[in-house]
Order: sequence, then C-alpha cells, then structure tokens
Amino acid sequence: MELMFAGLALGGLYALLAMGLTLQYGVARILNLAYGIFVIAAAFGAYVAKVQLGISPIVALLFSLPLGFGLGWALYSLLLLPLVRRTRAGPQLDIDSLLATFGLMFVIEGALLWIFGGNFYSYSYLSHPVYIAGTPVEANRLVVILVALALTLLLHVGMNRTRLGLAVRAVEVDPATAVLAGIDARTISALVFGVGGAVVAVSGVIISMFLPFSVSMATEFLMKALLVVVMGGLGSISGCLLAGMTLGFGETIVARFIDPGLTLAVNFGLFIVVLSVRPAGIFGRTV
Amino acid sequence: MLDVSGLSVSYGMHVALAEAVLKVDRGEVVVLLGANGAGKSSLIKALAGLVRYVTGAHIRLGATDLTRLAPHQIVGAGLACVPEGRGVFGSLSVRENLTLGAYSATDHVRFRDRNELVLALFPKLKMRLRQSVQTMSGGEQQMVAIGRALMSGPVILLLDEPSLGLSPAASDELFAAIRRIADLGTGVLMVEQNARRSFAIADRAYLLENGAIVRSGNVNTFLDDRVLIRAYLGGD
Ligand SMILES: Nc1ncnc2c1ncn2[C@@H]1O[C@H](COP(=O)(O)OP(=O)(O)OP(=O)(O)O)[C@@H](O)[C@H]1O
Ligand SMILES: [Mg+2]
Repeated sequence: MELMFAGLALGGLYALLAMGLTLQYGVARILNLAYGIFVIAAAFGAYVAKVQLGISPIVALLFSLPLGFGLGWALYSLLLLPLVRRTRAGPQLDIDSLLATFGLMFVIEGALLWIFGGNFYSYSYLSHPVYIAGTPVEANRLVVILVALALTLLLHVGMNRTRLGLAVRAVEVDPATAVLAGIDARTISALVFGVGGAVVAVSGVIISMFLPFSVSMATEFLMKALLVVVMGGLGSISGCLLAGMTLGFGETIVARFIDPGLTLAVNFGLFIVVLSVRPAGIFGRTV
Repeated sequence: MLDVSGLSVSYGMHVALAEAVLKVDRGEVVVLLGANGAGKSSLIKALAGLVRYVTGAHIRLGATDLTRLAPHQIVGAGLACVPEGRGVFGSLSVRENLTLGAYSATDHVRFRDRNELVLALFPKLKMRLRQSVQTMSGGEQQMVAIGRALMSGPVILLLDEPSLGLSPAASDELFAAIRRIADLGTGVLMVEQNARRSFAIADRAYLLENGAIVRSGNVNTFLDDRVLIRAYLGGD
C-alpha cells in the first residue's frame, strides 16, 4: 500500500515532467535541452519562497503556472523564433536549436551553481502522515499525485476536446497542411512552449516538496523526461501518463526490494522492452 | 475575383514560372494544363503563399492584396488550396479534418451550413466521420482534402491534380463534384493532366509551357486545335 503511493507519486512526477517536453518536442519540433535545468530552477524558486520568504509551496505552485508559461513563451519567441525564421524551419533548425538550448542550459546552471552551490537542498512541508485505509502516506506525496493527475486530465481534455487543442494536434501531425487550414504554426509553437514552461514550473515546485534536489540533477530529469516521452509516443499525453507510471513503479519496486542503485538500469530496461514491443511508443502513431 | 499578373517563381537560377497572368471568377472551373515540369504546381503554390515568388507580383482576391499576407492568412482571405499529393491530416479523423478546415472561419452558423454542404457533395464521408483519414482510399482522401478546403468557405479553390491516382470512375465522380462546387459559387482553378475528362466540366483553360502561359481561352477553342489535342488530350 505504502509502496503504491510512493510509486504513484514518482510516476505522476515523471508523467508530468514528460508532458511539457512531449508538447514542446512533438509540436514545435524543438528539443529543449534546457528543460531539466528549468525544473531545478523552479525547485530552487519554491525553496527560496518557502525558506526565506515564508510563502507556502501551494501558493508558489499557483504563481509558478503563469510565470512558467510566460518564461516558456518568451523562450520560444525571443530565442528560438529567430532561429526558426533564419533556418525556415529546415534541417539546420535542429542543430541551431540544440546549440541554443544547450547554451541556455549552461547559463542557467552556472547562475544556479553560483547562487546555491552544488549541495542538495530540501525543506519539510506537509511531511506528516495521512492515513488512507490504515496506511500512513506523507501528505506531500498526496499533493504530488493529485496535482499530476489534475494536470494530466487538464492537458488531455485541452488537447482532445477543444478547438485550440485540435489546432495543436494538427501542427503536430502535419505542419504543412496546418498552414493550409489557416493555422499559424509559430503561434501554436509559442503557446506550446508556454504550456511546457508552466508544466516545468509545477514539476519543479512539486519536486522540491518531496525530494532533495541539487543543480546536478537537471540532466537526470531531462533524461527521464525524454525517456518517458519516447516510451509514451511523441506528443501523446496519455502515453506520458502510462509510461511515467511504468517508470515510477518500476523504480520504486526495484529500489525497495533489490537495490536503489539499479534504478537507472531499470529505466533503460523498461525503455528497451517497451520500444521493442511498440517501436512508436505506447500510444505512438506509426508514421 | 482572383486577379494575377507578373507572377514569377525561381528556384535558384532555374525559372519555373515567368510573368504569369491569369484570372479566375466565381462560379467557373478553370483548368491549368501543361507538361511535366511546366510550372503548374509552382503557380498553385505561389498563389497559396507556399513558395517565394519574385517581388512585384500582383495577386488580388477581390479587394484584398494577397501578396501582403502570410501563408496562413491567405485561407482566411478566401483562397483555399489542396496541394499536389492531397493535404489531409492523415492520423486525424474525417470530422477533425473538416473542423480544422474551418479554423480560419469564426462564425458557427456557417460552419453548420458548410459541413452540410461538404457531406452533401461527398455523401460517402457521412458514414466515416470517425475514421482516421490515412486508412481511407485515395479517392476518399481526396474528398476529405477538398472538403477540408471548402470548410473555410473559399471564394476561390485551388486544386493541384485532384484526380492523380484515381480510377476513371472515381475521377468522373470527383469532377462532377467539382462542377457542383463551382455552380454553387466558388471559382475553381485546377491543375489537371487528365485534360479530356477535366475539359468536360471546365469553362476555360490556360496552357503552360516551360514556365510561360502560352495560351488561354474557352475550352472549346482548345478542343478545336488538333495539335493541342494530340499533345495534351491523347490521341485525336
Ligand atoms: N523546390 C524546388 N527546387 C528546385 N527546383 C524545383 C523545385 N520545385 C520545382 N522545381 C522545378 O521547377 C520546375 C516546375 O516544377 P513544377 O512542380 O511547378 O512543375 P509541374 O508543372 O507541377 O510538373 P508536374 O506535372 O510533374 O507536377 C521543374 O523543372 C522542377 O524541376
Ligand atoms: Mg505538379
């Protein structure tokens, strides 16, 4: 029972992390290498808010949504859009945008290291147990699970039940035809980067609530998000949820019963199994 | 309605279209005829804003200057395009494709009307609204593509080789639908290799040779010309 909640929390977190990336990568076709460091930056933001300003992480969570959206939007519009224009979204864009986001990653990482150093940080928030069917569960885990599920639902509905979501999917499946339908792929890409930014910010705040974090974890989060994105199928929200949960539960179970050092091996083991059964990911389309 | 002059397209040193002049009015079907590589697709793509053309071109749709618009704005201005090789969202459903076609239009009353119109033109789509387009036959996909374009309520519809890969029966069915579209008020400019079939429903035609429009006129005047018939209509 306790194991189940630990798995759900970790899985929910991975799913959430991957959702922002799957949208950015799947729709705007830009792999944002600074994704992981933004997550850590948001975690530090929540830390400073809680420890130095006395702002509750729940409040920080609410503020992080518009802030993350704005930053994501700005990242696309100010840094990436000029590259999209210059390369006319051709093959050169892949290389240019990788370099640009890689560079951005180093800048933010440098700034965070300068301010906070390389140590692990954590604070205690809602760490008292709540009893569910007689099992003690830390309250912050429940927050993680609820937020992850709520955002998944929101994004899923947004993508599949709204006009704007349909336009986003149209750009994702066929940017050239989207133009013919009167959809501006650049506006949609900026929007999607904003949504990704909001998801990043929420993920970072959530991580700070229940895991010790350090600047060095940025790459790990980027890797895990990427793993989940590929496993779930590029652009698929429900795929993220399923793949994220698979990974979260796999890791939790192995860490508990075998050895915590094996989590990375489990990650890639699951990754290979899923992709050998379904090469395009769990919900992937065969293109 | 659609009024074009001085339209030139170059790919590097290669001139694919030189100083094209043409007109398409509401309610007429105009065929663009020409050999492979003559520049037909380049002309269609230039009109839709999908390839760069030499500056100084004049492209007007009614009072709107299309040369000032971004590609995604051209649809909203009233010029819809079905490019060579379709232009459907393969992994989306028929219904989603049609809904997306109306993305640039904002009035929901007319959405209903257009949706009905498309389903009346292509009744086969009615039973398949939930089907993913990539699983449909070539002819059915072409119906979806044209339906998608019609959903924006265009004044002028551009079609690049709509009958490509279709059986003779399916082509006839498609051409009949295109004639109906024009009769309902939309002007159609279509590229066709299948000149004999398309001339049966067309009003006028342009002939492109090596990037230049060398001839234009009523389809009857084309049918009277034996040399042309041999070159483009096959046999005599
Ligand atoms: N992207 C491109 N880059 C370079 N040259 C091109 C490009 N697109 C077309 N061309 C050239 O421009 C000329 C006209 O091409 P276009 O596609 O307009 O011909 P078309 O009349 O549509 O031919 P088809 O009947 O084969 O479809 C051809 O010589 C072609 O090789
Ligand atoms: Mg062509």
